[in-house]
Amino acid sequence: MKRTISWKWAVLALSVAALMSVGCAKKQTVKSEGAQAPSAAAAVEAPVKEAPPAPVAVAPAMPPAVAPGVAVTEEKISQFDDVRFDFDKSEVKEDGRKTCGVVAGYLMKHPQAKMLIEGHCDERGTAEYNMALGERRATAVMTYLVSLGVPKAALSTVSFGKEKPLDPGHNEEAWAKNRRAHFVLK
Amino acid sequence: MKRSIGAAAGAFLLALSLFPSPAFPLLYIDINAPGGKRMPIAVADVVVGPGDPSLSRGIPKILSNDLALTDLFDLVPPTAHIETVTAAHFSGKPLSFPGWKMIGAEAVVIGKVEARGDRLSIEMRLYDATQGTLMVGKRYTGTPGQVRSIVHRFANEIVYTFTGVRGVFGTEIAFTARSGKSRGKELYIVGMDGQDLRKVTDNRSFNLFPRWSPDGQWLAYTSFRTGTPIVYLRNVSTGAEKEVVRFGGSKAPGGFSPDGVWLYAGVSQAGNSDIYRVRVVGGAVEKVEGGWGLEVSPSPSPDGRRIAFVSDRGGSPQIYVKTIGVAGETRISNGASYATSPSWSPAGDRIAYAARSGGRFIVETVAPDGSDPREVATATDGDCEDPSFSPDGRSLVYTYRKMDYSALKIISSDGRRQRTLVSGLGDVGSPAWSPGR
Repeated sequence: MKRTISWKWAVLALSVAALMSVGCAKKQTVKSEGAQAPSAAAAVEAPVKEAPPAPVAVAPAMPPAVAPGVAVTEEKISQFDDVRFDFDKSEVKEDGRKTCGVVAGYLMKHPQAKMLIEGHCDERGTAEYNMALGERRATAVMTYLVSLGVPKAALSTVSFGKEKPLDPGHNEEAWAKNRRAHFVLK
Repeated sequence: MKRSIGAAAGAFLLALSLFPSPAFPLLYIDINAPGGKRMPIAVADVVVGPGDPSLSRGIPKILSNDLALTDLFDLVPPTAHIETVTAAHFSGKPLSFPGWKMIGAEAVVIGKVEARGDRLSIEMRLYDATQGTLMVGKRYTGTPGQVRSIVHRFANEIVYTFTGVRGVFGTEIAFTARSGKSRGKELYIVGMDGQDLRKVTDNRSFNLFPRWSPDGQWLAYTSFRTGTPIVYLRNVSTGAEKEVVRFGGSKAPGGFSPDGVWLYAGVSQAGNSDIYRVRVVGGAVEKVEGGWGLEVSPSPSPDGRRIAFVSDRGGSPQIYVKTIGVAGETRISNGASYATSPSWSPAGDRIAYAARSGGRFIVETVAPDGSDPREVATATDGDCEDPSFSPDGRSLVYTYRKMDYSALKIISSDGRRQRTLVSGLGDVGSPAWSPGR
């Protein structure tokens, strides 16, 4: 890709350009953008066209321990074992069914108890897909508990996807621990 | 277009010189020519008119840094510059172009700052050193706090002048990272030049999946700050928020329709995630795609007529494309055991996604019909995931992970040039490139 400029044309262009820059530099040139100067508060059309929503208070910046209950990011201690899953699967396996049997027994003995089932995933794959997979795992456990006779009203689910690993390691041992449903008595 | 001007073009050249704004520049960079010659450009020191001389500080550096981020320019080092630019050069005195040519510069940028009270006036000019002509000149006014964004704007003018495609300087990347000792994740924003890193949320819960509105004013994201996930819209400038998706269990915004009317999201009901779209104003909900599988990560096409999304209906997560409102879809990921996080290019001609191949995630792009797959970002020792296109389609930002190390990286869409955008924060992910500015 070579640039070839005929010499005499170049000279002509240069001299014309030189004349231009001397003769009409002012007219030639600079466009003012004062009116469009960027501004952080520039009124650009926003997708939300109703009156600006009142700011929702962002959760108070206090240490999690001070917040009522236990912060969402903290692992909540459970008296029940976790139900573990295979990679990218949500079937409740044999040992998981045993755990569910224990949980169902407890809930039927304590009809006032409310159980939150958290679904978790290992770190592999995207956060979004794992968020949905965690929900499917938690729901699979809930469905199994209901099949054992636990009233659905006693159960709720939440998925944390891969955001709350039990074991921060990056190996199969850690991943196996992290693919789980975790029981939290509310 | 070639950068060759023959004798036959001479008359045309002459004609162009007579007009203040040529229809297209004489110096031209063909961005579609891989390995093409770079434009040698000199960014001169900036003159300060009335005002504190320190006002000019940083401007040539910001501009040079921007230009260096493209693969379009070679910067002539300031030590080689042969002329001190003065205020006279802004009122008719010509630069000594043969001198600039002699040191190898084919283009020269000069600038002038004037302080007027608490306002600044910044004038920037780009000259063709060979022809001695002004290619583009702009005068901006703003506050000292806006200098960086003004310089980015002129950098965009320079790129546009040479390529016909607007640059992406001043655009930003939203992402998530673990914050401090809290195990939570907060949203962050960083400039595409790696500057101006800031935390957007600070609530010590999980704040995930940031997605920009088409006007760049809002971020949709999922927050667990009430204990259960809710999708919020947050005004990036004011911090004002509103709830936009409350129904269902797990939920993650995927992207906005190009007109900003709809937010597409994957939402679980009874444990099964499907694709919905929610009217940003009014909240009306429509189901777009469902079935027994998990459907997540909707990415609308730039014309708003189609979406790319992830479904595991075939036994493993794969990428599909469907026309909105029309039954049926096409699988576009092939040969990967696991493919997620599609991102549609701004021109609509490519879709990027993360594919697991040989035990590692790599970033690939394909045509929207699944043909012509190309590897873009790969690492032998880690995973490359979560691609998001720049507004000019020339680059992608993605997450690189290796054990406890994670970083955001930017790579040219042909995979040839790569740089680290953010490192040193914990567990970074979900980068989303803002629209053009």
